Amino acid sequence: MFAHYIDLGWRSFKRTPLISILMVLAIAVGIGITMTSLSVYHMMAMDPIPHKSDKLHHPQLNTLDDGRNWNTPDDLPYQLTYQDVQNLANAPVPALKTPSFRTGFSVHMNSPDVKPFVESARVVNRDFFDMFELQFIYGGPWSQTEQRDASPVVIISSEVNERLFAGQNSVGKQIYLDDTSYRVSGVIANWDIHTKYYDLNNGAFNDPENLFIPFSLTAVKELASWGNNNGWKRENIDTFQDKLNSEELWLQFWVQLNTAEEKQEYGEFLMAYMQDQKAKGRFNRENLEFGLRNVVEWMEYNEVVSEDNRVLVGISFMFLIVCVANILGLLLAKFLRRAPEVGVRRALGASKRQVFYQHIVEVSMLGLLGGLIGIGIAQLGLWGIRTTYGYYSDLATMDITMYLAAPTIALLASFIAGLYPAWLVCRTTPAIYLKSQ
Amino acid sequence: MLKMQKINKVYQTEMVQTHALRDFSLEVNEGEFIAVTGPSGSGKTTFLNIAGMLETFTDGEYELDGVRVGGLNDNQRADLRNQKIGFIFQGFNLIPDLNLYENVEVPLRYRGIKTAERKRRIERCLEQVGLGSRAKHLPQQLSGGQQQRVAIARALAGEPRFLLADEPTGNLDSLMARQVMELLEQINRDGATIVMVTHDPELARRAPRNIQIVDGQMADFTLYQGAAEHAVAMEA
Repeated sequence: MFAHYIDLGWRSFKRTPLISILMVLAIAVGIGITMTSLSVYHMMAMDPIPHKSDKLHHPQLNTLDDGRNWNTPDDLPYQLTYQDVQNLANAPVPALKTPSFRTGFSVHMNSPDVKPFVESARVVNRDFFDMFELQFIYGGPWSQTEQRDASPVVIISSEVNERLFAGQNSVGKQIYLDDTSYRVSGVIANWDIHTKYYDLNNGAFNDPENLFIPFSLTAVKELASWGNNNGWKRENIDTFQDKLNSEELWLQFWVQLNTAEEKQEYGEFLMAYMQDQKAKGRFNRENLEFGLRNVVEWMEYNEVVSEDNRVLVGISFMFLIVCVANILGLLLAKFLRRAPEVGVRRALGASKRQVFYQHIVEVSMLGLLGGLIGIGIAQLGLWGIRTTYGYYSDLATMDITMYLAAPTIALLASFIAGLYPAWLVCRTTPAIYLKSQ
Repeated sequence: MLKMQKINKVYQTEMVQTHALRDFSLEVNEGEFIAVTGPSGSGKTTFLNIAGMLETFTDGEYELDGVRVGGLNDNQRADLRNQKIGFIFQGFNLIPDLNLYENVEVPLRYRGIKTAERKRRIERCLEQVGLGSRAKHLPQQLSGGQQQRVAIARALAGEPRFLLADEPTGNLDSLMARQVMELLEQINRDGATIVMVTHDPELARRAPRNIQIVDGQMADFTLYQGAAEHAVAMEA
């Protein structure tokens, strides 16, 4: 019977093409708008590393004196001081941990053949590549010795490798970052992440960096931070060393904690560390507080998906509801005009349920068609966002979930719109129409 | 075949109550051909709709082929209607988008009959009404008489034991009306029970049994002379 209902639905479409096309377009526009905003929201809110997002954690330490506040819900600063990061990085636990901050260089080959270009760089420890699962095309992370000795080594992205070495294996070759020559230790594949979750300070949706160098170079090369540098007390910072010794907050730190026990132990370690620091004259506060959030919690804490985005998605769904209301009106007109035919079908043995199914199949067909056209409209909308706002270029796309969501939402919307008209038409008293036809 | 006892049908509006049928009782035996006559608004069509389970009744007892209709839900009534009853309407009530083959197919689909069996029945019924060669035509390409013959074919396709005809010749000229009536008589001779509502006294006279409905009540049983002759002819 289902195939027969599809046949009847198609005949009905052809019988009233204008009203049918209007309904399909109404669904398509509603779905197009909804999927555009929902796709961006989905990409923003998506877990960027689902298989280990519960293992990667970002610690926070409340270094502020009593009476000082921070603009976070729990008053904990987002970032850490250099001295805390150094201490945490040198601690025996956990096995995998890395400081992180953003800097940048003028990249060149010290020859006229390659035009210099400015590129941002991430300053990390070698664990970073394992923790965040970066894939190497050539070579690998720098060695422990190179890290300890602050050797000038660099890991470059495939994009930079293409630019400087035409995509050839460049491991062991030298490139210049500002005035210093760095040896290429490895080349990583394109790091395809929609949210730059490891550093949410300067635009959560910026592209990942193309250069990675050891954190031990920070003090040696006096690397400037290209991220947020937050002071909260009066300090005289005249030299780079002053900055390193200060309470200025400008670094991120990530640890990998594989189990709940490891997380608890690390929490206890952080508390013990703060008590030790307090004894040394820092952490001038009565209640010592720390934070230890995993990736998803960290993204929520940093409000990666802002309230505005949620409101936008809400508004687009309301627009879809308006479309549904319009379709409902059109369906009512269309179905009730067909009441005499329904009367005949009922007289010939169709139950109310069969009449209802027939009409629901018909509206579902309209919904499916509208959903497919809606995907096209959503693609157009996303293209508009990509071309207007480069910052959203990686976010304004549809993944498989969204491709499946579009027809599902369209089907659901059309089903809701068709429910009342189908119910109404199946309740018609056949006798009335049989005589009057 | 059909047994109605003290059937009442009341249409209730805010202002008035209208008794369409009052204590209406009727028994129809297997193989009968009954003409139901009566003035406009007397309750003929209400009786037919209740007999065909297209309308419910307010109170009373109705049994169709041994099944008490009063206790059935909508789905059960639809099933029973589909299996036991064939309808023929004054306005033919063919579905305009469907060709003749598909129109005749409608009740068979709802009964869940397989494609091959459907095809066999449809072709046989269209042949029976003389329209076998026009199966692919749309209703609007036929004359009124031909459309009514398609409606009869549709009613017959389900092989019903009970045919309900509501003014089956009402929209036809006299020649076509006679042809349709002859077809109904043939169907009756083949074994189907027929109840036909009509305004036409001439047609009514051709039925072996006549009943009249006046003001929702059985007014009189009249066995016309012509009908008696018909019955004699049938027996012969």
